[in-house]
Amino acid sequence: MRGTKTTKRRHQELRLADSILLLGFVFLLLLPVLARDSDYVLQVFTHAVLLATLALAWNILGVSGSISLGHAAFFGVGAYGSALLSLNFGFSPWLTVPLGGLVATVVATLMGLICLRLRGAYFALATLAFVEIPKVITDNWDGLTKGSLGLVGLPGFTALRLGRYSVDFGASPAAVYYLVLCSALLLASLVALIFRSNLGLALQAIREEEVAAEAVGVQVQRYRLLSLLVSGFFTGVVGGCYAHLIRYIEPGLVYGIHFSAVPMIFAICGGRFTILGPALAALILYPVDQFIFHPLLPAGHQFLYGAVIIVAVLFMPSGFWGHLRKGQFALLKTRSVE
Amino acid sequence: MWTSVFVSGIVLGSFYTLISLGFALIFGATHTFNLAHGELLVLAGYVAYWLWKAFGLSLLFTFPAAVVVALLLCFVLQRLFSLLSEPRELNSIVVSFGIAILLQNGMLFCFSGDYRLIRVPVLNQGFHLHQIYLSYGQVALLALSLLVIALLYLLMRHTYVGKALRATIQDREAASLAGINVSGMGVVAFGIGAVLIGLAGPLYGCIHYLYPTAGPQATLLAITITIFAGIGRLRGLILGGWVLGLAESATVFLWGASWRELVSTIILLTVLALRPHGILGRDER
Repeated sequence: MRGTKTTKRRHQELRLADSILLLGFVFLLLLPVLARDSDYVLQVFTHAVLLATLALAWNILGVSGSISLGHAAFFGVGAYGSALLSLNFGFSPWLTVPLGGLVATVVATLMGLICLRLRGAYFALATLAFVEIPKVITDNWDGLTKGSLGLVGLPGFTALRLGRYSVDFGASPAAVYYLVLCSALLLASLVALIFRSNLGLALQAIREEEVAAEAVGVQVQRYRLLSLLVSGFFTGVVGGCYAHLIRYIEPGLVYGIHFSAVPMIFAICGGRFTILGPALAALILYPVDQFIFHPLLPAGHQFLYGAVIIVAVLFMPSGFWGHLRKGQFALLKTRSVE
Repeated sequence: MWTSVFVSGIVLGSFYTLISLGFALIFGATHTFNLAHGELLVLAGYVAYWLWKAFGLSLLFTFPAAVVVALLLCFVLQRLFSLLSEPRELNSIVVSFGIAILLQNGMLFCFSGDYRLIRVPVLNQGFHLHQIYLSYGQVALLALSLLVIALLYLLMRHTYVGKALRATIQDREAASLAGINVSGMGVVAFGIGAVLIGLAGPLYGCIHYLYPTAGPQATLLAITITIFAGIGRLRGLILGGWVLGLAESATVFLWGASWRELVSTIILLTVLALRPHGILGRDER
């Protein structure tokens, strides 16, 4: 009797989760039409989707149970790499953004060599400290990076031509929005593929019980490094996109603790061990921050992020999406979904 | 020239030890990392600044107020940390990171983002001692840091609470078997840690500019010195502070102030690379 009741409730919860997802997706697709009078709304959501991509990229490492407080290193290196390539060699951002991602991968390799021997709390502290290395170097390499002055006048994304049709990203905020949305969807699909691949299964095995995973032949360190590299690459790509969308970067901005903190907060609030949780948290929390708390409290509105992460860790460690979806998308049948 | 680099390194290093005492004590007794440590310190500095600026209070009388504020916040922190689930070390990092964001935004709201400094004119004057220039500020900083460290040493060595706290830090299980209330000692550690933060904060406000995001740098110093020292070693903390202070002042002298931030990072990463299983000497996950 009780069993059927809970099953029924479970079904309702899952249906609720599905409808939220569908409604949210339709809303995101139609947003430029709904918000055609307000560039500000579109701008906020463009940034929200960008942050969602960042959270998805962070979570490729996060799913292995490691918490990084140093992803700003990849974000900043991606942004600077892409910006410098486009400024100094005149390459199009379409080329330099992935190249910036590659530069970030190199930095991720370095971080992996230094930090990956550590676990848990010590890994988190080491990554927190690691960010200073690329930041201070960028700050001091005046000849290349103009130091703390930052780089201005970065080229935006150039128009794409396909036969007679052309999309001009300089003139249309909606085009930029769809560009960012498309990349977020691409990365989400890729993350879904990764989570179901051998890599994803290995990472979850490492998270659940590292010693046991090693005992059955999972090459723990190799998979952890691989996930760090993939995560670093995409974080760098998002950093590059950010640079060419904002068109101005400086070390304090792109290496700031903000870009380390925000993806971690979104991933943990949304659900570290789900595919879409991190992105959904970004899409909800950032607009709430910008539309509700920013007008109320111009100074100090970001307290919201601090509050939600405390509540999430203490009272909902599987994140809100993980909580709603408990059991359904469990990628591995695990004893306990933390 | 190198002697003055040495002197300023030792002064700075002693102050760094003072800054990190609270962090190290809380970590030792409760095995939780308080990433909001720097924010608490800066907030204590702001409290002193505000009392000094708005009411013209002498710096000496701002210490009790700063201590009270730090005690209140550390009490809240202790309650939150007691709710943590396993893995406690890692979760304490994430929760205190959230608290750090809360405090940063609270300070931005209350005190704005402007740079503040508690200016005490007499501290900028100085004298020559065998051709080494010393400012009264440096002398006061060194004296106060060493005084607080000495008081803490006496407390830890010669009172029951101190001995119980040391026992808890060294071996929780054994301490508990000997009849020490280990979780109570955690509360005591937060209390003493708060007093130390409250004493260090106003001093911090005298030698560093106060701004809402100044905290992480101080937190990084505290993490570095604590991990350098290993758990439960007051002497290690002093040595760590001096190593860091000397390395920083040598770096500033040789390459300029802009490379200073890299010093604590490199020391921390080196220590962690040498001791990958954490500072307790065993694998902890």
